[in-house]
Parts: sequence; C-alpha cells; structure tokens
Amino acid sequence: MSEPLFVRFWGTRGSIPTPGHKTRRYGGNTSCVEIRLGDMLFVCDGGTGLRELGLDLIQRGRPRLEAHLFFSHMHWDHIQGFPFFVPAYAPSSDLYVYEVAAGEDRVQRLLHGQMRSEYFPVTFADLGARILGRHFEAGRIGIGPMTVRCLEQTHPGRSFAYSFELDGRKVVYATDSELDFLIQNRDAADRDPEALRRLPDELVAFVADADLLIADGQYTEEEYPKKVGWGHARANTVADLARQAGVKQCALFHHDPMHSDELVDDKVRLAKERLERAANDCIVFGAREGLEIKIG
Amino acid sequence: MGNPGGEEDDLDSTVAGDVSLVAVDKTHRTPWLEQVRGPGAPREFSLGPGETIVGRSNQATLHIDSALLSRRHVAIKKNGPEHRLHDLDSANGVYVNGVKAHSAVLHDGDTLQIGDVVLVFHEAGR
Repeated sequence: MSEPLFVRFWGTRGSIPTPGHKTRRYGGNTSCVEIRLGDMLFVCDGGTGLRELGLDLIQRGRPRLEAHLFFSHMHWDHIQGFPFFVPAYAPSSDLYVYEVAAGEDRVQRLLHGQMRSEYFPVTFADLGARILGRHFEAGRIGIGPMTVRCLEQTHPGRSFAYSFELDGRKVVYATDSELDFLIQNRDAADRDPEALRRLPDELVAFVADADLLIADGQYTEEEYPKKVGWGHARANTVADLARQAGVKQCALFHHDPMHSDELVDDKVRLAKERLERAANDCIVFGAREGLEIKIG
Repeated sequence: MGNPGGEEDDLDSTVAGDVSLVAVDKTHRTPWLEQVRGPGAPREFSLGPGETIVGRSNQATLHIDSALLSRRHVAIKKNGPEHRLHDLDSANGVYVNGVKAHSAVLHDGDTLQIGDVVLVFHEAGR
C-alpha cells in the first residue's frame, strides 16, 4: 500500500461563517477540507476555511505549491475563502481547478466574478499563481495515483460530490445535497421514522465502502420540514446512507449556522443512536475544524 | 429631584477617583490533563509552554507505564492560543472523543484515549 492519506477539516460550517464562543469546538469557518497524499494536495471547496489552509501551507514552507481544487458548487459559503487564499498570490503556485464537464469554464468564471472590483479590491487577473482548468471525463479523472470521481447531487443550482480513491482506500466528499429528496421508500419512511430511508443505487454505489464519508447533515428531524428545498439533508438520512453503503466513518458536515456546539453534539448523538439501533458499526462524528484523520 | 434610595442617589454617592489597575496572576490558568483511567490514574498534569510527550518511555514528559502505549505516543504542542495534539505514529493510535485522530486542536473537555489510558483536556480554571 502507498503512503497514507490525510484528511483535515478547515471549515465545517454551512451557509455563513459563524465565529464566536457558541461555535468554538466545531468551528465557524465555511466548507473547506484538505486531502493530502505525500506532496499531493487536494482541496474540497473554498469556503472561509480555505484562508486558514493557505496560511498553514505557507508555514509548512514548501517552495512550490501544486494544489487540485474541487468545488461542490459555487454558492458563497464554498468560494468566499478563495480571494484570501495566500498561495493563489504566489507565482510559484500551480492551482488546478476542476470542471465536471468537458469544455466548461464555469468554476473559473465564477471565481473570477467574485473578484470583480465591485466585490473585492484585487482582481482575479492580479493573482500570481498559474490557475489552470481541468475537466472530468465521463465522471472520472486520474491525478497521479489518485482516481477522483464526481456525481451530481440534489441542490438548488446543482452541486457535485467527489470521491477520492487510491489502493482500495476511499474518501467521499458530499456536501450540499438534499438526500431527503432522493428517498426511494418515502411513504414508508414518513410513516415510520425508524424505517431505513432507502437511497438510490447509484448514490449508494458511489459512496460504497468509503473509509470516510464527509456529508452534509445540516438538519435535525424537527428542523427539516421548514427547510425543504433548501438543498440540505437530515443528519439521520446521512446515517442511513452510511449504513446502506457500508461506510466505515461518517463525518456530519455543513453544520447549520444556528447550531451551537451543544446542538451539533445532539444532532451527532441522535445519528449515532440511529445506527446503534440498527446494529451498524459505522463511526459517526461531527466534523470539526482542526481535526485530521489518517486513512491507511 | 432624585428618587430616594434609587439609581440616581447611588450615582450621586459614587466617589470619583483614579482607578489603579490590578495585576491578576494568571498562572493558575495553565491548561492541564486529567488522567481518569489507566495506570497512575487519577492524577493531573499541567501542560507547559513547550511540547508535551505522552508515552511509555521514561523520557516522556508524561510517562505512563502501560504496555498499550508507544514509547512516544502523542505530542501536545502549544500553537498560539491553542493546543494541538499529534499522533507520533503510535501503534495503537489516539482517539479524540471517540474518533481516531492523526492530529486535532484540543478544546476544553475533550477526551483522549490512548490504549487503556483516558485523559481529559482542560483549557484552564483548575
């Protein structure tokens, strides 16, 4: 087996940054996850956590940075850190930005757009790094020894999940997805809250046997009915996806900005208990800033 | 006219004067580990300003005589205002609140399990 994968959370909050004492443990920065394999750096989303990652990369002192950036989608909370990503200003950096379809330049265009002078004082053209577009082909791309796949999710304006696969190891990043829209046995699941919420085969196969699933589990059961159509999932539905897909560890991600650390604790506990009642041994936890996990 | 016994009277009776700032000794606010399980428990260990190594070695800053611990099992380093834990490629790993972690920023009340040893991290206030 090749060298280990490291996954580190830099931003775990959804929708808007939430600094303050109520969110200290899980953190207030929006979505950003680092996946590292030796010198290879993969970054999932550029929420405000990306700023912290950039500063840390500078501290690591690598003379030249090559990073592969994957955006689930381009809503504010997933791109706002990019203009503050210090390595993007260094001529020695190469940043590869991935588009899900051949010929698209949507990601680069929108990163460019958020740096127009109406929004930000420095323009995209002023960034020193080489920023290069790359494209998935038929939902897949190889980057060195890593295979990355993408899958469209259910979210207003579209979003994509990514799986990172290497030597039988797999990390899936799947945020901003309203899994509850995809429940196949909706009537039965509505009648019986304990019933397994069956999710589509394609999604289950995409996530299957992941060592780590990082998934949007923003809402509790009580909150969700008022948020239908907003593009986010119930934590318990994520737990059911993890169960169906044989996931080993599941990080509930994209915490609601209204949730204090204690409320996130409660949400995680309920998802854990749901899996325990189903005699499933997946480890469920709340993604929190600063936590780094080694895979393999 | 003021309200007898009311707020205005209180204000009127306040003596105006220089306030001398008082230096507060904060040394008691050093973060610390509480060992609640495993050989040597219960005990407490203050974290110094440098790196703390927890392990089975006699040279470890916090030496714990357990066969389930590596000689140098984890390091806890102060990094600005926060403390960060690093697994030192130990044989049995470290679990932070039940999650096997390679590294983690620690917060008050976090439980660290290494082998048969359970430690609780306290930011301050002993």
